[in-house]
Amino acid sequence: MVSIIGAAMTPFGRHLDRTIVSLAIEATRLALQDASLAKERIGACYFANTLGPLIFGDTTLGQNLTAATGLYRIPVINVENACASGSTAFHLARNAILAGDCEVALVVGAEKMCVPDFGLINSGATELDTQLGMVVPAGFALKAQRHMYEYGTTAQQLAQVTVKSRRHAALNPLAQFRQLESMEQVLASPLIADPLTRSQCCPIADGAAALILASDDFAARMKRAVKVKASVLASGIYDGRCDLTHWETDYETVRLAYERAGIGPQDLDLVECHDAFTISEILHYEALGLCDRGEGGQLAESGATELGGRIPVNVSGGLLSRGHPIAATGLAQIVELVTQLRHEAQDRQVEGCRIALAHCMGGDKAGDTKACTVSVLAKN
Amino acid sequence: MTVMLDFPPVYPGIFSTQGELHLVGGYCPCCDSYQFPAPEICANCFGAVEQVNLGGTGTLYSLTTIRTKPPLGLPTPYRVGYVDLDSAPLRIFTLLDSETSPLSIGQNVHLKVAQVGLNSEGKPCLRPYFTGTDS
Repeated sequence: MVSIIGAAMTPFGRHLDRTIVSLAIEATRLALQDASLAKERIGACYFANTLGPLIFGDTTLGQNLTAATGLYRIPVINVENACASGSTAFHLARNAILAGDCEVALVVGAEKMCVPDFGLINSGATELDTQLGMVVPAGFALKAQRHMYEYGTTAQQLAQVTVKSRRHAALNPLAQFRQLESMEQVLASPLIADPLTRSQCCPIADGAAALILASDDFAARMKRAVKVKASVLASGIYDGRCDLTHWETDYETVRLAYERAGIGPQDLDLVECHDAFTISEILHYEALGLCDRGEGGQLAESGATELGGRIPVNVSGGLLSRGHPIAATGLAQIVELVTQLRHEAQDRQVEGCRIALAHCMGGDKAGDTKACTVSVLAKN
Repeated sequence: MTVMLDFPPVYPGIFSTQGELHLVGGYCPCCDSYQFPAPEICANCFGAVEQVNLGGTGTLYSLTTIRTKPPLGLPTPYRVGYVDLDSAPLRIFTLLDSETSPLSIGQNVHLKVAQVGLNSEGKPCLRPYFTGTDS
């Protein structure tokens, strides 16, 4: 198995005077400090960034980070997998350690999106769907509409996800949106794509997160180490027969992760899932088996996924409130799990947190997702 | 949305005005499977696909209205959805008419083509869209 021995992130939000690499340096420095590790022990660097090429014309930024932090001559792998870029980099680093390619690996995800006229992102400019007007919120709104039609999910149930998210983020000093929002405020914010209002869409953000992974041998005497019980990455089929009340790949990835970790949903103490929009969290509840198919809206309403509830979800504030600097998100989720499993989360600590799951997905294709990752972590 | 068929299509080969206006997709005779848009090869058997007339009618499966600043010169707001085609087991993403006529899930819709928005070069182009009205 592989352990996480260092975890850190920058505050997420607007960092107008910072570069992608500058944010990455900060997260790297903090993660090394968290692990009490000399940088010379790092044997490989997995670096995730998604929009640098598009916004700034910058590519292969991982080597700019290693040069700036004196991580000389190590293999550097630059990773892009849409919103799952960071978690994909994590998956690859974990695989490299399992394969014996290195003992310690640095994983960094960094993104800068707060630039003038950023606009809406899509899943590839030359794709037919994009040319016909598919923008990211549309894909999620179309899922919400169908879920409401088939299962009677309500606008209030959707809005409750944001209300909870803001409540959690108020307890997280690194989150972007820390102001409480009432259901009335969520529903009264401007419509982006019916039925999703602005408060139900995750904000663009700048930020970075970093993890240090090590072999179990290396981590053996490290008291704060957290074990990676399973890590799964999957893609979909995309055959033009999508059922918009779910992501097929969501279910497949979750199934594999439970199987490989030897656990089920009833064993989880905490979930960080990819709540890019309120409907996403509701659909992920169902995919993760936290409730039955179609009952995600009711689960949101029940309070079971709040801090103190049966299965707290997105206690960090999630994408909706922590912010979503794309390639940093998958790692920020794992930073939250590590913090919680170490019982270092202070005001937002989940009592008795022993097994936690991070779920991330990225990109839209034919009604499914292009990449989905699920990781199961546990404290010894 | 006025019809001016002398503009280029937004994407090559996805519809035809030969006979009744219809979508053009791919059909693999080996696997008896349909795709839209037509792929280069059949993803299942790697064989050649035939161009196939997918008709121009279907049932609305889901829809939404996009109210933020639109991409590609599309109207503000504009509507998009998924349509289940009558002629083949395909559920396709599509632009919908941006008129104010109400549309709802389960409604029968049919294909139209008009100059709507701009292509990726910033030039006016033809886009296929589905509508529930006859006018």
